[in-house]
Amino acid sequence: MRKILFLLMIITIAVVAGVTLKSCKKVDIKETTTTDVNMLDYLKQDSMQRFTLLIDIVNKTGYDAFLNAYGTYTLFAPTDDAIKSYLKSNGKSSLDQLTVDQMKDILRFHMLEEMVNTAEFNDGKLPSVTMYGQFLVTGVSNTEGISSYVVNRQALVKQANVIVGNGIIQVIDNVLTPTTYTLAQLAEQNADYSVFTQALKATGYYDTLNSMKNADGSQRWLTLIAETNKALADSGFHSYDELKAKYCNTGDPKNPKDSLHLYVAYHILSNVKYLADIVMSGSHETLAPLEVVTDKMINKKVLLNDDEYSTINGTVHEPGVELEQAGSDVSATNGVLHKALSHLRIKVRSPFPVYWDLCAEVPELTRLSAVYKKKTYLFDYADGNALKDVKWEKSCLKYRAGVTGYLGDYWQMGLGTKGSNTDNLGECAGNTWIEFTTPLLVKGKYKVWFCYFTQNTSKISAVQASFDSIPLNSALIQFHSKISTVDPLKEAEQEALGWKWWAGASKKSGSTAARMLGIVDVKVTGRHKIRFDLVSGSNSDCNFDMVHFIPVGMNQTVPRFNPDGSIEY
Amino acid sequence: MMFKGKYWLKTCCLLLVLISAASCNKWLDLKPSDGIIRQDYWKTKEQVKAAVIGTYASLLDDPTNKDKSLPELFFLWGELRADMLAPSTGTLSEEFEVMNVNTVPSNTITNWRPVYRTINYCNTVIDFAPDVLNTDKTFTQEALDSYVAEAKAMRALMYFYLVRSFGDVPLKLKSTSSDEEIVTIAKSSQQEVLAQILKDLNEAEPKISLTYGDNASDKGRITRYTVNAIQADVYLWMDKYDEAVAACNKVINSYRFGLLAPSTAWYNTVYRTGNSTESLFEVQYNAQKLNDFFTMFGISSRRFLAANKVMDQVYTSDPIYGQKDIRSDGVSVRAEDGVIWKYVGKNDKDLIAPGDSYSHWFVYRFADVLLMKAEALAQKGQGADALDIVKALRDNRNALAGTDNNPDPANVDEVSLFILEERAREFMFEGKRWYDVLRYVKRNNYEHIDYLQDMISSIVPANMVRTAQAKMLDHNSHYFPIYEYELQTNKALVQNPFYK
Repeated sequence: MRKILFLLMIITIAVVAGVTLKSCKKVDIKETTTTDVNMLDYLKQDSMQRFTLLIDIVNKTGYDAFLNAYGTYTLFAPTDDAIKSYLKSNGKSSLDQLTVDQMKDILRFHMLEEMVNTAEFNDGKLPSVTMYGQFLVTGVSNTEGISSYVVNRQALVKQANVIVGNGIIQVIDNVLTPTTYTLAQLAEQNADYSVFTQALKATGYYDTLNSMKNADGSQRWLTLIAETNKALADSGFHSYDELKAKYCNTGDPKNPKDSLHLYVAYHILSNVKYLADIVMSGSHETLAPLEVVTDKMINKKVLLNDDEYSTINGTVHEPGVELEQAGSDVSATNGVLHKALSHLRIKVRSPFPVYWDLCAEVPELTRLSAVYKKKTYLFDYADGNALKDVKWEKSCLKYRAGVTGYLGDYWQMGLGTKGSNTDNLGECAGNTWIEFTTPLLVKGKYKVWFCYFTQNTSKISAVQASFDSIPLNSALIQFHSKISTVDPLKEAEQEALGWKWWAGASKKSGSTAARMLGIVDVKVTGRHKIRFDLVSGSNSDCNFDMVHFIPVGMNQTVPRFNPDGSIEY
Repeated sequence: MMFKGKYWLKTCCLLLVLISAASCNKWLDLKPSDGIIRQDYWKTKEQVKAAVIGTYASLLDDPTNKDKSLPELFFLWGELRADMLAPSTGTLSEEFEVMNVNTVPSNTITNWRPVYRTINYCNTVIDFAPDVLNTDKTFTQEALDSYVAEAKAMRALMYFYLVRSFGDVPLKLKSTSSDEEIVTIAKSSQQEVLAQILKDLNEAEPKISLTYGDNASDKGRITRYTVNAIQADVYLWMDKYDEAVAACNKVINSYRFGLLAPSTAWYNTVYRTGNSTESLFEVQYNAQKLNDFFTMFGISSRRFLAANKVMDQVYTSDPIYGQKDIRSDGVSVRAEDGVIWKYVGKNDKDLIAPGDSYSHWFVYRFADVLLMKAEALAQKGQGADALDIVKALRDNRNALAGTDNNPDPANVDEVSLFILEERAREFMFEGKRWYDVLRYVKRNNYEHIDYLQDMISSIVPANMVRTAQAKMLDHNSHYFPIYEYELQTNKALVQNPFYK
């Protein structure tokens, strides 16, 4: 009995002690991975109750499940005031007067399938398309000293970047409404474009711009650059008839070869390109076969075909056509409309010779005032990003100054073997290729001459050049080979064999050699790529000095170029 | 047997109760065994001095190693939004955000905690140092005043960075030394903060030392001259030009500072070694306490390079006669590859070793005082006097003729713009450019907002130019957002409306 009592006491004490001990710890087990609410819950829990109508729409359309499901969405959430004023302006008194499909369209136009925060807003369209299928454009507007993000030129962002469990919410003060007009309709509605619209209709492009689908059923996205009547009048076209009289050479504007047809096609860019997209790339294809427009942004103005190129006779500047910012970036169901302030005609660009010094056109080099034309320098590979217009395989690229090349410099590279250690700067590893982006080449046929300075005549190697990935097959480059003669009397004979010397009378030698690599047919005016691939052998000092693109039929051997920068004709 | 059993039982119970109770509370000594508490500190004058030196030490680095050091922060605040930096391979996404005018409140660059930490150290000195008079009889009122003045000047300097970076900020003037003292404070307006800064500076000025006995201390601690320099800077910011000139004159007329003659050793003397005659106040890194600049500018995955315009437009070069501005190639920047050179150059072409990254951070230099005076004079309509100062500096620095705009002395705008450009040359990468530009732009009710818009358009990508320019029209966008953690913990704070 005593033993039992004793045991009981021990147990009681143990339990009491255990309880008191345990009371010190608090076990808090979390069962969720995040406490963030999802979109719908966020809207419901809004402390100011700003989204009751939006929640109604979500519930009525049956989107509630998916707004609360896992995902990475962006929701532009209009407040109650926004929806009320939308209803009012559409002559409705309540949501009930909208059909479910209408509400679905509204909601889908306010949602993206990607998370987009305001840092990604730019002067043009958002990177991803709405679920409705139209892009939203963004920007910033300033009223009375307060700058806010604007979406689709319709709503201001009132509260930005609310991050919720399944995406991001941007609170806006107006309902976004998709445009219902096609590009053709937008042009037609604007009286300023009446002459241009007539041309669109006559050439059949009105129908192209009025449809939403391509032949293969995919969504059609185009960019139309419309000319105002004033722009045309300034160039002497006061009516469609005058325009037709000038351009229509076949009598049938619908004929794809007709110049009026081409003129209109030249105003349509493939894909949807807002001004912000236009300025991010130097040239854009048009629907006129193989014709491009180039663009520039100067003093905040976007200019098309404002071109500058250097010829032997100096720099030529062709003033461009301004796209008015206020009248541009007008969204359509199938693209975007821009407003041109002057007459944009297909640029007649006749081929002209380009004597391209491979060093002088590299801004990353020429702005190094302590290096350019002064000393040898190694450009680090930097993940291939060191120079915008010169790419090579690996290691580094050597710039040589004070040497026999046009302007006293050239690029020097070890092909198949490491480069030499000039001025103890170090050795770049052997490369197998290098690629340059050319200056602007006008479409046409050119003979391509490669100018180099021969070095290491015992190091036999062969290098294949390609223009836009098409091999040039007249000759391979052999950096060890000299030209056999620089006798002026043998000039024609050498040219026939595909050789010339590039240096002037006092500097020419067998080493100042140039090879005709082949003939290229440049289809599209613009900048192209020329690439040099090692085929066999190796040479530690391959010197890349110039490339000449000389239109077929022009004198191929002169002018000649001197290290001091002078040119001999 | 029975007795023994009971005795054993009692002991057992007692022990259990003791153990279970002890595990919940601590009954014994409350003082930490590995540190000293406030009640035991603040007894001797040595402790006061240590606390004051601690405020300077807090500039060097975050003691907890969580936040950015103040010089790094001041560099980012002063240069990221301006036009002299270019991104490089190591640029962080949050730095791109600021450069592209896309700062959001979650960006840690907007975390002001390191600045308030130093402010709290200053507040601690101001609050507790006076008590030491009671315990240490060798501590004099004069010595106390000098220490408190140093703390006030430092506090003013910190608030001046805050007010220029954030606009309205909470004004915390009492130390926080225990959890009970954590209070939520609302923001004070820019004007109130500036008034407090001036009050601190004006109180500090007569009491702070002119010298601490050795050169390193004179350049590493705040002297009366530094107080005058800060005053001039604050007055300029507040468009009070007479006061600014007077403050500058106090420094200039002391004849303690000067411009060194240009020589090959100039870079080494002024920047690499530091504490030169040209200097008023520098943050003193040394071989034991390295700065972060080598990883920012020196290593191959560096975070920043100099923008092209630094050599192309700001300094320019002279290919014909080989003349150069002594502040350009080999000092501010290594021209051949655009490396930001001021903090990582051993000489004009070789990098320092990573372990030698202890160039100082330059808070005020004599040239700053000169150019601040010129700027104030220009606003007062004394354009010719202003240009004399600028010309003397340019001659000393061998500025190239290509950068001389020859402004009309009677034209306030031309002279001011010229001074702004000269400041860019003189204080390249010293964390001043953005504040200089903003001061120029906001003058006369944002008369020169177009300058800011042009500057922005040269920085952001082409497809964001209009967006960024429109943002700049909102003056609140010139100030950082309050870091979101601060908003969560201090409910009295209201976010800058631009970032809502």
